[in-house]
Amino acid sequence: MRLPSLTRSKPEAPGVHAEPFWSLRPQSDREAGDAVVSNFMLHWFPAKISKASMAWNYSFWLGTISAALFFLTILSGLPLLFLYVPSVERAYQSVKDIEFVITFGSWIRSVHRISAHLMVIVVALHLMRVFLTGAYKNGVGRGQQREVNWVIGVVMFLTTLFLSFTGYLLPWDQLAFWAVTVGTNIAASIPAIGASVRELLIGGRNIEQATLIRFYVLHVVFLPGLLGVLFAYHMWRVRKDGGLARADAESVVESPRSTAPVPSKTYTLLGVARGTAPTVTAHTLDAPDATVNAVPDLVRRAAIATLGTIAVISIMSVFIASPLEEPANALVTPNPAKAPWYFLWLQEIVTDTTIRIGSFTLNGAFVGGVILPGLLVGLLTFWPWIDKSSHLAAGVWLPRDRRTQNLVFLLLILGVLALTFVGMVLRGPYWILYWPWEAWPEIPGRI
Amino acid sequence: MEQRTSSPYPRVDRLVMAVVGVVLVIGTGLFMWSDRAHDWRYYQLEFRQMVAGKFGDDKAAVLPSGVQQIWAADLARADRCVTCHQATAYKGFETAEHPYRTHPIEPLQQHPVEDYGCTSCHGGQGWAIDTAAAHGEVAHWEEPLLSRSLGDTYTLAGNKNALMQMNCNTCHRYDRETPGAGAINLAKRLVNEKGCRACHVINGFGGTIGPDLTTVGEKAPEQYDLSRLSGQRTAFAWHVAHFKDPRALSEGTVMPNFNFSTEQAQALSMLMLSWRRADVPALYVSGAPRTDPRSPDELKAEAAMRTGPGGWFVQTGCFVCHSISALGVRSPAQIGPDLSNAVEDVQSRFGVTLDAFLANPTGTMSVVLSRQIILTPEQKQVAITKLREAFAEYQRQRATPAAPARNQ
Repeated sequence: MRLPSLTRSKPEAPGVHAEPFWSLRPQSDREAGDAVVSNFMLHWFPAKISKASMAWNYSFWLGTISAALFFLTILSGLPLLFLYVPSVERAYQSVKDIEFVITFGSWIRSVHRISAHLMVIVVALHLMRVFLTGAYKNGVGRGQQREVNWVIGVVMFLTTLFLSFTGYLLPWDQLAFWAVTVGTNIAASIPAIGASVRELLIGGRNIEQATLIRFYVLHVVFLPGLLGVLFAYHMWRVRKDGGLARADAESVVESPRSTAPVPSKTYTLLGVARGTAPTVTAHTLDAPDATVNAVPDLVRRAAIATLGTIAVISIMSVFIASPLEEPANALVTPNPAKAPWYFLWLQEIVTDTTIRIGSFTLNGAFVGGVILPGLLVGLLTFWPWIDKSSHLAAGVWLPRDRRTQNLVFLLLILGVLALTFVGMVLRGPYWILYWPWEAWPEIPGRI
Repeated sequence: MEQRTSSPYPRVDRLVMAVVGVVLVIGTGLFMWSDRAHDWRYYQLEFRQMVAGKFGDDKAAVLPSGVQQIWAADLARADRCVTCHQATAYKGFETAEHPYRTHPIEPLQQHPVEDYGCTSCHGGQGWAIDTAAAHGEVAHWEEPLLSRSLGDTYTLAGNKNALMQMNCNTCHRYDRETPGAGAINLAKRLVNEKGCRACHVINGFGGTIGPDLTTVGEKAPEQYDLSRLSGQRTAFAWHVAHFKDPRALSEGTVMPNFNFSTEQAQALSMLMLSWRRADVPALYVSGAPRTDPRSPDELKAEAAMRTGPGGWFVQTGCFVCHSISALGVRSPAQIGPDLSNAVEDVQSRFGVTLDAFLANPTGTMSVVLSRQIILTPEQKQVAITKLREAFAEYQRQRATPAAPARNQ
């Protein structure tokens, strides 16, 4: 075989690529397949991919964008690791230095912050997309375990939230201090063990140095490590399950008779996986009009999604400065004190479920902060086993078969969004509702 | 060779990819530019030209460039003000416009800039290097530059620069009079005259009818009830209005109306905001005792020694180590031998006469007399005379057993 290359020496064996920099325009499907195997960065790609899975308007490439954002937070976090000092005496000052005098410091911090916020949004959108398309459902392949990948995905979403939450505290300003105060007080409302849970979270009874170092280590070591491992497994499972659920849907549509698939092609990863590898009907995937080569079509689209994300974040970070409020002060509560925005719907429920009858107060933090989100996360986790719709509904946007559950899901999302909006925009000092056109009372200055 | 499957994507995707590439390049250019775009580059260029025009290119060439800072380690202040205010320590620009003006020399003699930085007196945000942020005229920074223009906005009676005196009082809190801090001095006089301590605890003692004012300056702006305040909505404005008419600002208060003038009310408000939980090292606190506390008996004994026959040894500092018990001088440390019998003791210890020893001391005394207590030949002569007197007294006391001499 022959790889067209710019170098003089031509690789003798397939799978061995002699060039340090990869530049390839495959002339045949065989060459395109070999290119995937021979490149470390691409080894997790399939050789061929169905056009339907590639479509922008099926997945919106939200998973890839999430991964790009995760990559960006790590990349921008590395220089911050060298600059930030996780001590209550110096954290705030070190962030000020990053903002004011470190070369590209404020841009790097903005990249980190904006990527992190967008990651919460995009991961949530990715999860919604997977739900609405029933992509956690197994299709026609043998040995598929998409529901496992869904559970991994839910855990990754929660890890993303916790990563963002732990990062929130690090600047040690008023915003950080009080957002974490609100967040950890919700945990304290669990009956019997609440106080201990809070103490475990913040390493004591007050938010202090012990809390900062705890959140710092979680933020820079454990949670990114966990997310990285889960991410690798998540991607591996996608391949093991025969790609996106859309590919299954496509093969079903193309050959409605293939209820018993023909085991003619097995995707394995470098021979590591045996036996349970899903087998996808060969005639659709090999059909020239239904598939394209991963190299270069998938690679190019992945690059567009990744680099496009980087470009957008880079420009946003020039124009959107990261906030840094007054230094943390346990004696002065900002009014209103708000949780991070992605927990505001919970804070709103906490307020709305706090019932006062005379001197008796039913604390809403347990209902709104523990029971309800616990129930929702539980339902979300086990939904693949509750959803009894046909396998034909996998990988299809809003199928008739899953209409009711999609509707309920969308209504819940809408509710969460509405509560988040109320908490973010409408809640003013003393948690009083203000319309957007109503001015809040002016915040006084010192001198 | 088998053919490659034709793909419908490259035509559009390549174009999109190209656009993404262009946007990436633009983004990179943008953040590179935004990192460079700072006012201080302009101010440094301008000052360089001013120095070149006035003192020549050689002087301009050695001006520091880039971000500059004064690091006052004791106060943990990194003040980057000098990035733009390059002339502060540069003689010859006393009448120039800010930021090119030379700092007056008098306050800096008492408060060396390398120990105090800029912001501990002037306020502002020393970390910042852009005008608005550095002058503290931004959200979430509660220590604005205490400038003349800020004084103007409060139509400060008298000295428009007086707001800065609030920061003087961080260290000069326990002074009765601080030179140059007229408003604070006036306020401190008023606190005594009007008897504020009748109702308020100040610095740890006073009445309990009103709130403790010891750290009233720490009170956050959010914690003031500004609902009855008209005009500027700041803690300072609240205090001024409250001093002029307490009942108008805080309903039902028993604080009397003292009919303060505007100047008095403003001075008192400055004093209030200056009473903060300041985290300054003891060395920076004016009026803090520099010696160990002494009991009245000890003070009386020392006064007696100073005025007694051995007073010369106390003034010269010999008594730090040596008692001269025959003359009633008792050293607090008693490191060295009693000098009452120095005339014979020197002979026995060093084998020379007292005169010779003082002229050419050896051992510890050679160090002491060359570094710490440097005596002129005339003073040495006085010492010898006095020590002879002491010896005479010593011998007289020895002869009288009623008064035993302390000998070490």
